Amino acid sequence: MKKGSEKEVTGKYANVPAYIGLILLACITLAPLLWALSTSLKIPSEVIQFPPTVIPSILDFSNYYKVLFASNFMTYFRNSIVVTGVSLLISTILSMHCAYAVARFDIPHKNALMFGILMTSMIPTVALLIPLYIMAVRLNLYNTRLWLILIYTGWRTPVLTWMMRGFFEQIPKELEEAAMIDGCSKVKAFYTVILPISQTALASSALLTAVYVWNDFLVSFTFVTDEKLKMLSVGLYSYVTQYGIQWGELMAAVCLSIIPIIILFVCLQKRFVAGMAAGAVKG
Amino acid sequence: MTAEKKTRRWKDKWISIIFVAPTILLILFVSIVPMVIAFRTSLHDTNYGEILGFVGLKHYKQILLTGDGWNNIFNTILYAMGSLAVVIPLGVMAAVGLNNKLKCVTLLRTLIILPWVLSQTVVALLWKWLLNGNFGPVSYVWFALTGEKADFFNTAWIARITVILVNVWFTFPIVLILTLAALQSIPLDLFEAAKVDGASRRDLFWKITLPMIKPTILTAVVMQSMEYFSMVTLIFVMTAGGPFDATETISLRAFKEGFTYWHLGLGSAFSIVIFVMNILFSLIYVRILRNKED
Repeated sequence: MKKGSEKEVTGKYANVPAYIGLILLACITLAPLLWALSTSLKIPSEVIQFPPTVIPSILDFSNYYKVLFASNFMTYFRNSIVVTGVSLLISTILSMHCAYAVARFDIPHKNALMFGILMTSMIPTVALLIPLYIMAVRLNLYNTRLWLILIYTGWRTPVLTWMMRGFFEQIPKELEEAAMIDGCSKVKAFYTVILPISQTALASSALLTAVYVWNDFLVSFTFVTDEKLKMLSVGLYSYVTQYGIQWGELMAAVCLSIIPIIILFVCLQKRFVAGMAAGAVKG
Repeated sequence: MTAEKKTRRWKDKWISIIFVAPTILLILFVSIVPMVIAFRTSLHDTNYGEILGFVGLKHYKQILLTGDGWNNIFNTILYAMGSLAVVIPLGVMAAVGLNNKLKCVTLLRTLIILPWVLSQTVVALLWKWLLNGNFGPVSYVWFALTGEKADFFNTAWIARITVILVNVWFTFPIVLILTLAALQSIPLDLFEAAKVDGASRRDLFWKITLPMIKPTILTAVVMQSMEYFSMVTLIFVMTAGGPFDATETISLRAFKEGFTYWHLGLGSAFSIVIFVMNILFSLIYVRILRNKED
């Protein structure tokens, strides 16, 4: 008994370096965000004060007011929500059907097909921008949301299909067979039996798509120049070029833009991590 | 009976086509067709959006036979390898730390992997401000320590290292998450058995943990190097490739040739070079894995 408790004590001490290291790391990851928050709450003269102050001497919300009501921020924000939402919905629907068919139907050369799909996700996105620009101009889809949605959806489906196929294959076939004995068709069994129990997996993969689209810069930067159609990440960049960088306002815009993602992440962290791990193992 | 089976098979066939076709068509449309167009464009002269005469390998020669092209290739390799050299050990160490039974482990994990959900634009802007030569806190600390004003984006090597470190801050959580998942799948009896045999904590790490997570680390290395090869936004927003192209990687060059200078032909050639680098790299990876299995 005594030995056991001694072991516990050394065990506790053994964790001290881990604590120190991890807390230090957490400080490093958090510091830039806190600095942005602090800057966004300062009055303009304090923003450009040297030496800089860590905590604003006067809490001032005028940067937030300016960003929300005197700039295009809300337009950018709305565009990001619309494009992210639609891309997420379509890519999830398309890839769950494709993944199910690959997992459960006899499709000739299905392994070659899946390998081909995997290969396309190896194409660097920057390599596709120039040809997609040429196509957009020819098809008259330059400066449209539709083009952004098509691209995001198409780029996300390979990864999603792989993740979901892995998930569907883990579901025992007996579930559908039982439903089919009760008179269900294979398709009906998919919608009424398989999909309801797959919600968690679908949510994990949908989350990753949401983060991808919300955070992307290149696609919306390249294919949209109309102020009314710009998405948030590009909108942020325009604060840099237009007004000769008003750091206070820029940091307020940065803070506002990351709030939705951080809330999602903190609430649904487990799903994020599960989705990420599944994607990597399969990919 | 057989007739019924036949109609069912016929039905299944149509259903699977309806389920699979939209995805395949979409992927063809936004990935395969563009890749073919990119290759074709890389062999032609261009004037803004217009594609002119066939010029063969002219653009490729311009990349591979000039100093600037090799400067871009050098920067890309330095950026990818430099980042990997820090990201992998840091990610693995943090994962091993988080795999202990600690208090507040969920809170710590959440805070540590937070940078992962930020966008490259946001990360670049945050650090641009932190490292700002006149008003940034990092510059202030530097000033207090050395008595000299710091400028992180004006000297070639300092800018290169800065960009790599920011990338490390942004991407090490991915390695952490992958490693943590791998660590959690190691059966605990392995450790118990080794402990009974008198293995120390260090032995446990080097002889059990590390070999068990090696495949995951290898996967992370490949995933991340491809990611780093094709990264544009982070560097574009932070330095735009400067000072004097010291931080301009191939991807950034491809992007700038395309959409800053409107040299679509040359830009496409750069894109193809990145693509080939990705393929070469993944082939090497597959070979390493095969050798391991044998």
